[in-house]
Amino acid sequence: MAARSASLPGLTALLLALLLSGCGLGLGRRAPGVGLGGGNRLDPALSGDGRLLASVLEREGQGRVILQQQPGGGLRPLRLRRRQPHSSPSLSWNGRYLAVLVQEGPQRRAVIEDRLRGRVVRLQLPPGSQPERLSLSSDGSRLAVQLLRNGRRRVEVFDLSGLLERDLPPARAVLGGGAGQP
Amino acid sequence: MTRLAKAPPPHLALLAVAAVVAGIAGCAGERPRPLVALNGQLAGEESSREPALAGRWLALISTREGRDRVQLVDVERNAQLPLPGLNRPDAQVLNLSVDAAGERLALVRQLDGRTELVLYQRSQGSLRLLPINPAGVPRRVQLRADGRQLAVEVSRAGLWQIDLLDLP
Repeated sequence: MAARSASLPGLTALLLALLLSGCGLGLGRRAPGVGLGGGNRLDPALSGDGRLLASVLEREGQGRVILQQQPGGGLRPLRLRRRQPHSSPSLSWNGRYLAVLVQEGPQRRAVIEDRLRGRVVRLQLPPGSQPERLSLSSDGSRLAVQLLRNGRRRVEVFDLSGLLERDLPPARAVLGGGAGQP
Repeated sequence: MTRLAKAPPPHLALLAVAAVVAGIAGCAGERPRPLVALNGQLAGEESSREPALAGRWLALISTREGRDRVQLVDVERNAQLPLPGLNRPDAQVLNLSVDAAGERLALVRQLDGRTELVLYQRSQGSLRLLPINPAGVPRRVQLRADGRQLAVEVSRAGLWQIDLLDLP
């Protein structure tokens, strides 16, 4: 009996520790759906501010990039509809830019949709290589591309500063300098 | 009596040529400028894959002497950063993502026959397992820029789904 009462505080402490450690391991939820029919959801990409989620919706073997508001899941319009399958979407900070791989005949092509200006920029990557994965920096100034050339995979990084304006987080308030302040 | 065709003024011909050249260039696409020094450094590896850019950081998987390892590169200084406790010979990393501070890396890796999702904190050199609930097999992961949310591609019952995980 004495042994049982002595083990109770230990057990309580263990349960409490497990509970607390569980709290620290992240809270999961499913990304909002996109209506009836379902299909595979692939290649998730969050905008820097977390307000947009891009992903590839795969139905009947064709992958199409979609853009959803977070939370809620409302679909946002995109100019990129054709040249499927799409893959490897990547978003800038406010979601102004969406980089994605599209299909042009037998070739994969990296393109960037500028949602603010309503235009699609097609990128010319080194000849003789096929782009396989993309990652756009959150300010839109650089693009990392996984290229397949002569059977070898290689990551290359490109400067986009001459092609795109920056997509920066909203300016932070400047402290001080008000009336009567130096 | 034959009438001679009038040649267009030279400046109009030049304008036409320029328009054709511009049209062809537009079809080919815009040519982004490669970061030569960084790309040269990456070319020294046997192979590299799964790039993830955030802020000034590039995370990727590279192969040297037949072994995979995760690399974190400061793109502005063209310097590699140490990742103590992350790379281990018995684990195979499949996909990864980094936050804009270069502090957190999320990885999908295979270890002991399991595919797991883990979060690495660089300043502490710590690695912790992130549970997937309901159970599923992760494949790709992306961290939000502030490192506080994670989007994960998960396979469940033959269907790929996307989970969003809030991180403390």
